[in-house]
Amino acid sequence: MPPVSAGAGYTVTIFLVDVSPTMGTYRTLHLSPHPNEDPPTKQVTYLQWSLQFAMLKIQEMIFNGRKTDQCGVILFGTDETNNIINRKDGGYDHVTEFLQIGQPNADTLAKLASLRASTSNVPGDVAIDALIVGIETLSNYLATKRSWTGRLVLLTDGESPIEIVDWEAIAKRLNSFNYRLSIIGVDFDDDEIDFHEKGKSHVKHENESFYHKFAAEVANSVMGTLSFALQEVTRPEVKQTRSTLMATVLHLGDPANNPLESVEIIVKTSKCTALARPKSWKRFAPREGKSADEMDVDSAPTKHDDGDGNVNKVIWAQLRMRTEFHVEHDVQGDDGDGDEDGLDVDRVKKGGAKVEKEQLVRGFKYGSSYVPCPDGQFQRLSTRKGISICGFFNADNFRREHSIGEVHYVWADPRSPSQQVALSSLVKAMDKLDMYAITRWVTKDGSDPKMGVLAPCRFRKVDCFLWVQMPFADDVRKYTFSPLQNLSNRRGEKVTSHPYLPTHEQIGAMDRFVDAMNLMEAGEKDEDGNRSPWYDTRVSYNPAIHRMKQALFHNAVVQDLVADQLLPPHPELIKYFNLPKQVLKDAKEATDECKTIFAIKKGAKRLILPKRVPRPRKNDHARAQDDDDEILLDRVAPSILENRSYSRTEASYSQMQPQMNPMPVKPTIPRLTEDDSETESESDDDAWPPSSSKGAKLPTPSPEPGMFADPQRAPGRIIGMATPLADFKHNISQGDVISKAVEDLGWVVKEVVLRPFAERRHMEMIECLHELREVCLQEDEIDAWNSILRELKECTKEAGNPAFWGEVQKHEVDLGLIAASEAARHGGRSNISDSWAEKVSLSVRGKLLY
Amino acid sequence: MPPYDDWNKLDEEEDEELQDTSYFERKHDVILFAIDCSESMLALRDDPNHEDAKTSHLLSALDAAVQIQKRKVVVGPYDSVGIMLYNTARRNENGPGSDIKKGTYVYQPMSTINATTIIDLTQLVDEAHDNLDLLNEEYPSTEKHIPVGDLFTSCNWVLRDGAPKSATKRIFLITDNDDPLEGSHNSRLITSARTTLTDLLQAGVTVEPFFISTDDRPFNQHKFWANVLVTSSESDEDFDLLPVSLSISRIDDLLEQMRFHEVPKRALFNIPFELAPDLVIGIKGYGLVTEQKKGAYKYFVDLGDKMEVVESITTHVDEEREAEVEKSEVLYGMTMGATAEDEDTQEHGFGTRSVRAGRRVFYTAEEVRSFRTLGLEPGLKLLGFKDRSELAFEDNVRHSLFIYPDEGTYAGSQRTFTALLISMVKKGKIGLVRALTRRNASPSFCALLPQEESEGEGWAEPSGFHLIPLPFADDIRAAPIEEGIRAGKELVDAAKMNSAYQPDSYPNPALAFHYAQLEATAFREEFDPDSFEDHTLPKYNTIQRKAGPLIKEWLKCLQNDESAKAVIVEAGSKRKADVSLSEAEVRSRYESGGLMQLRVDQMKDFLKSKSLALSGKKADLTERIAEWLDEHP
Repeated sequence: MPPVSAGAGYTVTIFLVDVSPTMGTYRTLHLSPHPNEDPPTKQVTYLQWSLQFAMLKIQEMIFNGRKTDQCGVILFGTDETNNIINRKDGGYDHVTEFLQIGQPNADTLAKLASLRASTSNVPGDVAIDALIVGIETLSNYLATKRSWTGRLVLLTDGESPIEIVDWEAIAKRLNSFNYRLSIIGVDFDDDEIDFHEKGKSHVKHENESFYHKFAAEVANSVMGTLSFALQEVTRPEVKQTRSTLMATVLHLGDPANNPLESVEIIVKTSKCTALARPKSWKRFAPREGKSADEMDVDSAPTKHDDGDGNVNKVIWAQLRMRTEFHVEHDVQGDDGDGDEDGLDVDRVKKGGAKVEKEQLVRGFKYGSSYVPCPDGQFQRLSTRKGISICGFFNADNFRREHSIGEVHYVWADPRSPSQQVALSSLVKAMDKLDMYAITRWVTKDGSDPKMGVLAPCRFRKVDCFLWVQMPFADDVRKYTFSPLQNLSNRRGEKVTSHPYLPTHEQIGAMDRFVDAMNLMEAGEKDEDGNRSPWYDTRVSYNPAIHRMKQALFHNAVVQDLVADQLLPPHPELIKYFNLPKQVLKDAKEATDECKTIFAIKKGAKRLILPKRVPRPRKNDHARAQDDDDEILLDRVAPSILENRSYSRTEASYSQMQPQMNPMPVKPTIPRLTEDDSETESESDDDAWPPSSSKGAKLPTPSPEPGMFADPQRAPGRIIGMATPLADFKHNISQGDVISKAVEDLGWVVKEVVLRPFAERRHMEMIECLHELREVCLQEDEIDAWNSILRELKECTKEAGNPAFWGEVQKHEVDLGLIAASEAARHGGRSNISDSWAEKVSLSVRGKLLY
Repeated sequence: MPPYDDWNKLDEEEDEELQDTSYFERKHDVILFAIDCSESMLALRDDPNHEDAKTSHLLSALDAAVQIQKRKVVVGPYDSVGIMLYNTARRNENGPGSDIKKGTYVYQPMSTINATTIIDLTQLVDEAHDNLDLLNEEYPSTEKHIPVGDLFTSCNWVLRDGAPKSATKRIFLITDNDDPLEGSHNSRLITSARTTLTDLLQAGVTVEPFFISTDDRPFNQHKFWANVLVTSSESDEDFDLLPVSLSISRIDDLLEQMRFHEVPKRALFNIPFELAPDLVIGIKGYGLVTEQKKGAYKYFVDLGDKMEVVESITTHVDEEREAEVEKSEVLYGMTMGATAEDEDTQEHGFGTRSVRAGRRVFYTAEEVRSFRTLGLEPGLKLLGFKDRSELAFEDNVRHSLFIYPDEGTYAGSQRTFTALLISMVKKGKIGLVRALTRRNASPSFCALLPQEESEGEGWAEPSGFHLIPLPFADDIRAAPIEEGIRAGKELVDAAKMNSAYQPDSYPNPALAFHYAQLEATAFREEFDPDSFEDHTLPKYNTIQRKAGPLIKEWLKCLQNDESAKAVIVEAGSKRKADVSLSEAEVRSRYESGGLMQLRVDQMKDFLKSKSLALSGKKADLTERIAEWLDEHP
């Protein structure tokens, strides 16, 4: 395990940047790694190059986003002067505090990027002054922050002469504050990476030896050349996360019922492995004013100014996610079953109508049925926190491939010696007997239990357990695979020789190959000169995480990705991508033997046509069965033969088509009704058959009461909203709750037509009204009808659903108010006179309703 | 997200924007149960599960169909199931199936799994258990076995009518008759059976037979079926090989056998495996272990007459402009610092960056993908071999995958793969590979753990390699505790209780509890939480019987152990004065009724030492302490 690093953050870094005129010198950078092309190059000033380092460091601070990770920038060699010592005591000219200490942000980077080297010559001894100013600034800032660390980073080309005085005193001061110092120079010599600048100036040579001398005096210091430093910035560095210790209890036996023969150990758990994921990317899009700016866009190339001006800037805005809910529904009826293809085209496309979140109900699907569950979950299994041991088993029987998650440590309570001894004794015993324990872990009261295995783990000074989750029965897929070694033929006899079975010769070649590719002694040499195995998880960095981080940093720092290309990944990141050269070389002979003897041919099998039974789609059966058409290597497969066989099948289908059309459904069997609505389409998943809106006979699934209460029946109502007409008829046939049924159907119609998407049920509702009116006439509920109709008009016509009211009007003759004479004909009475009814009826035509 | 889909996704696929997962979501499974209704299937036998009860093969098969459908709710809620009986005189009067071949009868037309059909079928099974003649009366046998060709033709028609085109279609053929031709070597009938089966295969349908074998009537597949049932993997080379998917079992194992087939086998990836430069074979990867989660709830909207699932659509918008942005315009970058206060930000709002026209500071999706893959193409690359012991217990972060050779992409893959497997097992080696399983995944290093096929009865582990992803340095956490007191000498003699961890013995109780409630609600039945049994709880009786005395002994040793009396010196100077009370003190306070007089910090200290929660008011703490003391007399 890697050592625990000092807590991150609580650091102030001051960058001391040389901006003397020499820093404006251009240097050609060779951009690797495109060996085939002309090596691309780029001209940058020393300053720009040095700033890259500062910016990448600052970007890392922005990336980590810690308030306790701060930085400041001090320039030296500037024309003007502005620094803390100068303000107080004067002197220390040409040193400028450019950015005050604080938490950096994108603006910090932008300001750094705009820096240019000075043009006028200034005295060259300012590097030492800058160091002194830097120490002063740091110590001032950190005066009240005793636990913080100070760090100075000096970036220079070392071309300006240095006045070497009092340097020992400065080094002492740095040491007394325990500040760290990094001196990074443009093209400084570096023995470690064997870099030596040719034609180095005398001044620079002198300066470099001074810096070396100086750095040697500072306890916490590094010195290096810029190109190497820039590479090292991208060296993968693991972000250390301290795992918190979670308190829980380890049980063996049943302490509640049998305390004398059970054990409880107070333990703490922490993570041993935790999957780290790359930082996510944010989405950006250009923000363009679509009106006036469009002209600008067209003429942009000409107006373009590559200089410093702020010409033609495009604002890129970060995008936010927004989730919308849509419902698919037929705009026109579900009666399309009989449609021949021509009609289908004309059908209104299924529209995704937007729904507001407030309208939504939570629930689960039971297959295609809907089960409401407003809480989003059912009652949870009641569990008690703790790790219970269910049994022990021999470690040899542990199936490593069953580990399905991250690994946890289980420690004894660090505050309790007795618990530590108890756990240690168990660890020791299990270790000695080579046993693992089967356990059930509940992380906190009421949470879902997990099964796992406890393995003893003995560190140098402490004993603990490791725990890893095991699959439940539900988590294991038992796919069947053809055996690879024990092949048998159709007569049930064992096959010993077959192209699928390797021969002894082949196995021998493979044995030699496996031996040759041994990694056990292919790694670094240890202290004793023995070679260790190659590949170690502890230094194998996740390439995606670190490459993305590098790209993110680069993107934040540069002004143009095309001109400033991303550097190649750090060698450390890809060191395990290919096997060690020596192993590759040693295995050459065995590899060549395998190549010859196994004679693998790419895609060869696809070319063989079956001899015995001509079965064109044979290979596709293989695909159909295994179901991975998607897969890369298979993509090339479509053949003419395939198409032909398809069309053959299609043809035989279409011949059968007419007689195979779905038959009318027997309404008494609910199951069949349902199947009718659910053949190929996915949209009608509900347990309830969608009502036909054609106004024809409604499918009546006649739900058995008791068993299938209508989920959409409001409390206290005897008519549900799913199949109101059926409910109504059912109630009327019972004959005892007619008034209630009439009232409720009126209510349901009103409810339905006022809901969103009501138009799909207009016809059904009209039909309900017909039935309702008829019943009202027969059963002397005339007043009820008249008031229902008035109420309906009130709520639909005005705002609710005028379209529906329009529908009602069309049926005015048989859906109008029931007047006295009509009532009398049916033996009832109405308090509406014929003339009034007539009048309103007439006024209907005059658009004055009822 | 239906839980089944989880199986078909790799963990790396987080960035849905760049990944097309729709392929898996649309791929539904369709099963048609084709159940033999002949006399022997209807014959009454002793029920192996219930004393004094009778059952028939047909009834058991229907029962299995119920169970499979219920399982489908969990593993494939969008899948469809239908049931067809054959060798029955019953005919469909009208409706689906009225025009299929004589002797076949559609009992349950193809439909998406739903509560109503399951309830109906359950009722039939229940009634048939009570009234044993029911099935005989309702679905009488035909006198003669119908031609197998007719059976397949009917299956074909039923499936074609009810199954979505894109689905995987399978026929679960259940029969106990190993010789439907009754000894006659009528080549015409065999040919017609083969031809109709070929038609089925061409329509993308596979037949998975479940043959029932009994002591008095052992099933001999070689009499008839093995000659007819060609499997899809068959080619001229392996024509002589026995099809794998044949399952012959006793009736009581029928359900178990079907459970193996409850979901169609699907490969997660099919990629090349480079053993060395120019030595490449084809492999397919499968997920054999993945955590099965409860399905997430869905949102529904009330359309008045029915509830409809709503789909959530995620769009990306520029908040300032309230405008949806075209996907093609989107580039990727990093968010600006949290406190950016430059002109642009003030001018244009948070999260903006102004860029000179004609320049690009953001990455394209393609570039982002190359950062993730480091420019690698999907595939496995062998790096070498290590000893089996190098694969440590703690080197795990994720579930493993399983790989199996794919002869279809590289001829010779299977023998090479098998030779490698044999060699590695023999030498006790594991492989180390660099893996990029999909185009949009990120590279990882995996251990290749060989597994040889097990021979024997029942479930056989397949041959192949387990691909175990190894943790990166980034995934490894440091041990927070480096020192502790250890037991001076052996104190325990552990008692062995199990032979190994068997996943089958531990069904997920939380998942079962969830689905039990879901089912009860869907069936409109009362759910009784007390009737629920959690099989993962330790078997206390067994533990006590086997280890009780040992544990007692251990406890005694612990109490006498000297090192347990050591005092731990707490690091850090900020610690407050020691407030802690010993357990005995707390207990005596409790017994004298003076628990409330303890200070809150004392209570918390005690609770902490027992790994109990520290939340709540003083009364809560008191109650929690009292509860613990009661439980630990």
